[in-house]
Amino acid sequence: MKLPQSWSDIDVYTFKDIRSLNTIEEPFARDMEIMAVIMDVSVESLDDYDISDLNKEMKKMMFLNSEPSKNFKNNIENYIFKPFEQLTCGEFIDLEYYFSNDYIKHISHIAAIVYKKHKFDEWGNLVYEPYTYNPNNRSEEFDNVCVNDIYGIIPAYLNFRKNFLEKYMLLFEDDPGPEEEDKNTPLSKEDQEHKAAVKWGWERLIYSLCNEDLTKFEEATNLPLILAFNMLSMKKDLNL
Amino acid sequence: MVTILNKEIPNQLNELSVQQFEEITGILNDTSYDYIEKHLKVFEIFGINEEDFEDTSLDEFKIYVKEFNTIKTKFKIKKTIDIDGHKYIGISGKNFILSVRDTKHIEKIMKSKHKGYLSEVLSVLWKKEGLTNAEHYDTAHIKYKSKLIRDLKADIALPYLVEIGKKLQEKVKIENEAASIVE
Repeated sequence: MKLPQSWSDIDVYTFKDIRSLNTIEEPFARDMEIMAVIMDVSVESLDDYDISDLNKEMKKMMFLNSEPSKNFKNNIENYIFKPFEQLTCGEFIDLEYYFSNDYIKHISHIAAIVYKKHKFDEWGNLVYEPYTYNPNNRSEEFDNVCVNDIYGIIPAYLNFRKNFLEKYMLLFEDDPGPEEEDKNTPLSKEDQEHKAAVKWGWERLIYSLCNEDLTKFEEATNLPLILAFNMLSMKKDLNL
Repeated sequence: MVTILNKEIPNQLNELSVQQFEEITGILNDTSYDYIEKHLKVFEIFGINEEDFEDTSLDEFKIYVKEFNTIKTKFKIKKTIDIDGHKYIGISGKNFILSVRDTKHIEKIMKSKHKGYLSEVLSVLWKKEGLTNAEHYDTAHIKYKSKLIRDLKADIALPYLVEIGKKLQEKVKIENEAASIVE
């Protein structure tokens, strides 16, 4: 069987499978599971191989110990990459969810958010489709693409996120909560408010953006991220 | 055999049982003991206690240790062994092969490093003639067989342990090479 020579020969689905096997502590057992995934066979079917043969094959696939390419494609089939600076609040919130809940496992979902259908308007401007679809329904389309085509969005987003959070640090900072929570002592009203603010972080920001009018929730999530956060910063500065 | 404080104790691989060999390697690999403590503990296995060395100088003790550690036995891998009239196969082909299936079991055993793990490793390798895979890898069967193996002489066991060591070393080498790879 022809084994992959680099990440260019591995699709996103297989990449996720391989990375999920990193939790297996025993190195040989892990290699066997990885080999089975790559060869698309059951791990039991490898049982009678000599371990030296398996080692030799694994040695040919040293690239598995490195990260895929940090460059990513601008176009994936019918989709085009939407720059992070142009994200909407809703897209940003969903990305934050996937990034804080294992971004390797959710790499296809992340791609489904940042790669968009698009058109040119009558003025020749590039227009991205609205974020009205569920990324769960589109993620499978990105499972079949080469991992090198989209993996780079992970480090790129992390870098964007770092700069973004630094810039709007004040919006994400709350007053420090109670230093040590004593379960027997009832929380003061202030502490209860702090806990609630942490728990409802995103909802609180959007609530503020729609001026506490929930009927405008969707409109608020569709606002460009940078504009929305500039407005929130202004509201905070001016105590509005 | 080697004579220590007028007592003959086994030190060659064809004199030591697998169990004694396991106990010795267990002590020698225990980093909580220093050099002297390790060998005092080893001699204890053969009934020579720490107090018996009270009148022994450090130089004399070092000579005892050196003599004990001098292994003259030449060992050769045996493809099959007999225990209680039953044949156990270690190598079915021309050369030693460590199968993926055996490696998975051995890796688990070696990870735990419990007392007697070496005989359990050998128990995975040596397959009783006529048994199915399900019977052979049954945990109770492996444990039972390892008890039998502990009474064998270490010269039968050691060549297999050396071969396993070589195979596992290949993996360590690959892991080390991989650590320096960046695509």
